[in-house]
Amino acid sequence: MKVKLFSIIVVYILLCLFSLPVNAQNDNSSDKGIKLGGYLQTDNRLCLKGDNEFSWQEYRLGLKAEAKPLEKARFYSEVWLRSWGFPNVQNISDLKDKNMVSTWNLDLREAYVDFYSFLSDNIDIRIGRQRIAWGTGDKFNPTDNLNPYDLEDIWDFGRHLGSDGFKISYYPGDFTFTVVYIPLFTPSVLPRGNWASALSQPMELPNGLTLGTLTDTIDLPQKNLKEGSTIGIRVSKNIFDFDFSLSYVHARDQLPLANKITFIPTEKHEEVDIKSQLIYPRMNIAGIDLAGAIGSIGIWAEAALFFPEKIKMITDLSSLGMGIHESVALDNKLYIKYVIGMDYTFKNGIYLNVQYLHGFIHERGAANLEDYFMFGLEWKLLDNKLKITPIAGGIEIKEFKDIKNNYAIIYSPMITYYPFDNAEITFGLRLIDGKDTTSFGRVKDYDELFFSLKYNF
Amino acid sequence: MKKITLSIFLMLGIIMSLPQDLPAEKQLTALQILEKVDDVINAPKDQDLKIKLILVDKNGKEKIREMSMLQKGSDKRMVKFLSPANQKGIAFLSLPNDIMYLYLPAFKKVRRIASHVKNTKFAGTDFTYEDMEAIRYLEKYNPELMKKENDSYILQLKPKKEVKTDYSKLVIWIRADNFYPFKIEYYNKNRTLYKIMLREKIEKVNGYWISKESEMEDLKAKHKTKMCIVNVKFDSGILEKQFSKRYLNR
Repeated sequence: MKVKLFSIIVVYILLCLFSLPVNAQNDNSSDKGIKLGGYLQTDNRLCLKGDNEFSWQEYRLGLKAEAKPLEKARFYSEVWLRSWGFPNVQNISDLKDKNMVSTWNLDLREAYVDFYSFLSDNIDIRIGRQRIAWGTGDKFNPTDNLNPYDLEDIWDFGRHLGSDGFKISYYPGDFTFTVVYIPLFTPSVLPRGNWASALSQPMELPNGLTLGTLTDTIDLPQKNLKEGSTIGIRVSKNIFDFDFSLSYVHARDQLPLANKITFIPTEKHEEVDIKSQLIYPRMNIAGIDLAGAIGSIGIWAEAALFFPEKIKMITDLSSLGMGIHESVALDNKLYIKYVIGMDYTFKNGIYLNVQYLHGFIHERGAANLEDYFMFGLEWKLLDNKLKITPIAGGIEIKEFKDIKNNYAIIYSPMITYYPFDNAEITFGLRLIDGKDTTSFGRVKDYDELFFSLKYNF
Repeated sequence: MKKITLSIFLMLGIIMSLPQDLPAEKQLTALQILEKVDDVINAPKDQDLKIKLILVDKNGKEKIREMSMLQKGSDKRMVKFLSPANQKGIAFLSLPNDIMYLYLPAFKKVRRIASHVKNTKFAGTDFTYEDMEAIRYLEKYNPELMKKENDSYILQLKPKKEVKTDYSKLVIWIRADNFYPFKIEYYNKNRTLYKIMLREKIEKVNGYWISKESEMEDLKAKHKTKMCIVNVKFDSGILEKQFSKRYLNR
């Protein structure tokens, strides 16, 4: 009922807004037509270990459309049409299905309408599928919790899905107030293939037991405003030459959490199948971020205080005659994720970017937050035709007291060549080493070489 | 008699000490000249420009960029790239007190620009972010009159102590008839000349002087950027609020 009411209100607002052209025919906007643009991007990755298989092959056509029918209204959309290089064929009947032979998908990234100076000169609203990027960190943003993660490509850090909702921005004086409302919950997309293991903890079994099959079910929140909605509020202001923001988000965790595990014995001796049930806990997140400069060095910092709901974990061992055990999957105790970063451009044009991150995307609870040092060094040469990134990557440290057994290193040098306007060709490596106790250490066997081409039009 | 002779010598001494070619009675001080320059280049209440940039490399190969530029008074400027496709939508906002913001459409974010970026090239052109700022020279530089030629003044501008810049000095040629600067030499921290800007087609549009074509040359890289004003509107009533982060991604 509430969803219906909400839909009616949204439709009504849209109808009212589209009636505005009557008053706006005299606008002097010179660009009222639809502008089309986009890019073609190919991305090929080859495993350096094992049989040197391709680990990724993506051909993406990104299409963007933008229109300003009125001075105070703007439409924008972006669609990805993608073809995946790997056929999904397992039998002859699959060969008759073109989508199985040549897999592709269509992804509506964003589609929204902006209304400027709506009702008041100081209010802008945006309605539709949109990306709301909060935070000052470089691709790692603990306060960016409105849109679900799009972790499909684990190396495209910071990518999020668009969310269907609205954003109201109010600009009184030097302040900016933003309110976001997203009525329904959308889960995050997890990494494709083996990369998902970087974000999941290995399953620990009782002594003597081996794992048969592992199945899971996910309980999505109900499709109503109470259970599925996300609310965000943010206030920003420049103080002492630093841009400050305070934010609050009432949302659900973007990644699922297991709250029930059932062990079922198989016919094999000491082997068990495991069924797990996962949910998305409610979170209240208070955030603060800043950006500015100390001397000539650019700096930024961002912190998010997570107040999760308490989630109990039920471990059902009754089939093994060991009863049902109850523990805590997620305690309702505050934990803080943060990022601090700086960048600098040297006189010779070399650009350096360094960040320290406490708490990665998938980590929850104060005791489980790890530390990451990210770095990148770029050098543009030959009249900006060549960009060399000899040093780029990160170091993950799970436990400072025993670094030797709790570290991972990612090293990803690359070269980008810009042969002419709108075109870029990138060639690089991703090398990973570390211990299985760490997130990236678990994917250390997936070193790869990558080659991508992008052309904008 | 001795007193009269002494006075004549003193007066001659004063006149001889003045820069050559400058009639003493019409001499303007360097401060007055630079103030007039600031007044002329920032005379319009606001400016709305469409600009074509032609980047020419040392082999003569050209690249074209288009951008729009809005300016309010002498200290607020907004620049947006219209082409090529990979730069379309990039927007740059310059505000008083060295505050600069950059909007990069790919990241959907407005980023604050720290001063280390100010001296890097703006989107591959020979202009730095600092060159793209709207300024009054007098606020940043101490002027010194080097020479007065027949139809122009030559000033040397040295940055004030509190100003953060990579330029050790500028030498600026100013038309004597309208106080419009037509040539600027940029010297780096090593006091070496490394860029020259020439302003041509200096015309009066709606009562304001403007250079419709200018060229910035990087002497070391042997690279040039020609800036051609394609369309210009003065005093069109651009609002103060348009020079804010709110308008960067519109």
